[in-house]
Amino acid sequence: MTARVFLESVDPWINWDWLSTHIPLVLGALGEHVELTAIALATGLVISVPLGVAAHRSGGLRLAVLGFFGAFYTIPSLALFALLIPFTHLSGTTAEIPLIGYNVLILVRNVLVGLDAVPRDVLDAADGMGYRPLPRLLRVELPLALPSIFAGLRVATVSTIGIVTITALIGLGGLGSLIDKGLVENFHTPLVVATILSIALALVADLLVAGAQRVAVPWARPV
Amino acid sequence: MHRTRASLWLLAALAALAMVAAACGGTSGGGTTAKGTIVVGGFKFPESSILAQIYGQALAHDGYTVQYKLNLGTREVVAPALKNGDIDLYPGYAATDLEYWNNKAGEATGDASATTAKLNSHIQSQGLIALTPSKAVDQNAFAVTKETQQKFNLSKLSDLAPIGSQLVLGAGPECPTRPYCLPGLQTTYGIHFKDFKALDTDGPATRAAFKNGTIQVGLVFSSDGDLNDLGLVVLQDDKHLEAADNVVPILRQKVATDEVKNLLDKIDAALTTADLVDMNSQASTQHKDPDAIAKAYLEKHNYFS
Repeated sequence: MTARVFLESVDPWINWDWLSTHIPLVLGALGEHVELTAIALATGLVISVPLGVAAHRSGGLRLAVLGFFGAFYTIPSLALFALLIPFTHLSGTTAEIPLIGYNVLILVRNVLVGLDAVPRDVLDAADGMGYRPLPRLLRVELPLALPSIFAGLRVATVSTIGIVTITALIGLGGLGSLIDKGLVENFHTPLVVATILSIALALVADLLVAGAQRVAVPWARPV
Repeated sequence: MHRTRASLWLLAALAALAMVAAACGGTSGGGTTAKGTIVVGGFKFPESSILAQIYGQALAHDGYTVQYKLNLGTREVVAPALKNGDIDLYPGYAATDLEYWNNKAGEATGDASATTAKLNSHIQSQGLIALTPSKAVDQNAFAVTKETQQKFNLSKLSDLAPIGSQLVLGAGPECPTRPYCLPGLQTTYGIHFKDFKALDTDGPATRAAFKNGTIQVGLVFSSDGDLNDLGLVVLQDDKHLEAADNVVPILRQKVATDEVKNLLDKIDAALTTADLVDMNSQASTQHKDPDAIAKAYLEKHNYFS
């Protein structure tokens, strides 16, 4: 009934026989990992941009938003799942709520910082050119905030790929389910395979977001 | 200007793409049969997955539509899922489940039936029921090597009382203060060991100490998959010192029809701790999948014929 630390065993790093017969299991875990990450990032972005814009306008809201999501970040995931299951069941929704919440803290902060950094004289120039508030936001402020938003998106992407593993507590977890399997069964192969795939996924995702940033914000080269 | 507008669209498109990718991954539900659907849950360790598969495959053979929610973290997750119907049943352990559902009131004893009756008194009002406990147990146990067993002709813990002064006990460092360990062995069984070595609970240190003869008696888990490979024999806890962690299915009363109860009771009545050791060994040393192990077990015991 317990996970045990690795014994000095003859278990190879990768057992190719097991791996060759469990390709669907590994691909399924990888697919689930990508799915959980993609929903968390997309929803996080959809929530964060308007919330960041609103918080940028109102100092009270800024404190409330950063305070709320900062506090949310400190709730242990096990406690959160136990609280959510009576309402949202053993479902993808229960898995996504903490992931999205963690993302929003990162993203909303970067939206805010990006908007804060738009120079006053640029705004004055836009006003002088006759921009009304909404077009000014869409065509001047948000484009200038994009490098900061993309920077947040890159941090959120890589951190979500790592954090997705906590959803193994409710039977999901993506690659985290393989890592747990390796730990519980004292079996290297799923552990090693999942770790390699997780690193590869983070690298590919980071490159994709960096590439998107290069296309979207050609004047600011991503680091 | 066009460029910046395009970049915003790109960001939106990225978000939309991610959402579409996510939506494509939805799972399709299975059809239902006349007997209805039962969702079997399980904890995140091989033995629990195997037991869940044994129950589930037997129910499926009997005509139920069975779905699985396995590898769930802990009772903190499983209990609310059972209460709200996300799962209908899980393989529980009498003493551990009693102590969970009674908020650690310390009511569990070494008597499996009494412990299960107590468990039922706590969960019945919540629409749940625990069935008849199996004699198969996954709990703290004391093991000796085959050589020691043969040398002293041992089968149960009481046999150690007259010869305890010749033997060394190895267990976790907390053993001398825990009622189920050294104090219990002294008061319940009258065993006084020559010495006690603080090691670990069924871990590498205990194994090494068995191997080089530092200890003759050690604390292990009764259903551990590598007991046979290590040449260890578990002594029967004939005076019920250990809390009875017998395997017992815990169900929602809604699905606990006589037919389901009879089927699960029949499985649990036949299941032994030796079966658990054997199946855990297939999982931990041969890395077989829980569904295949369960299927082989049910086939071997003619549940499918």
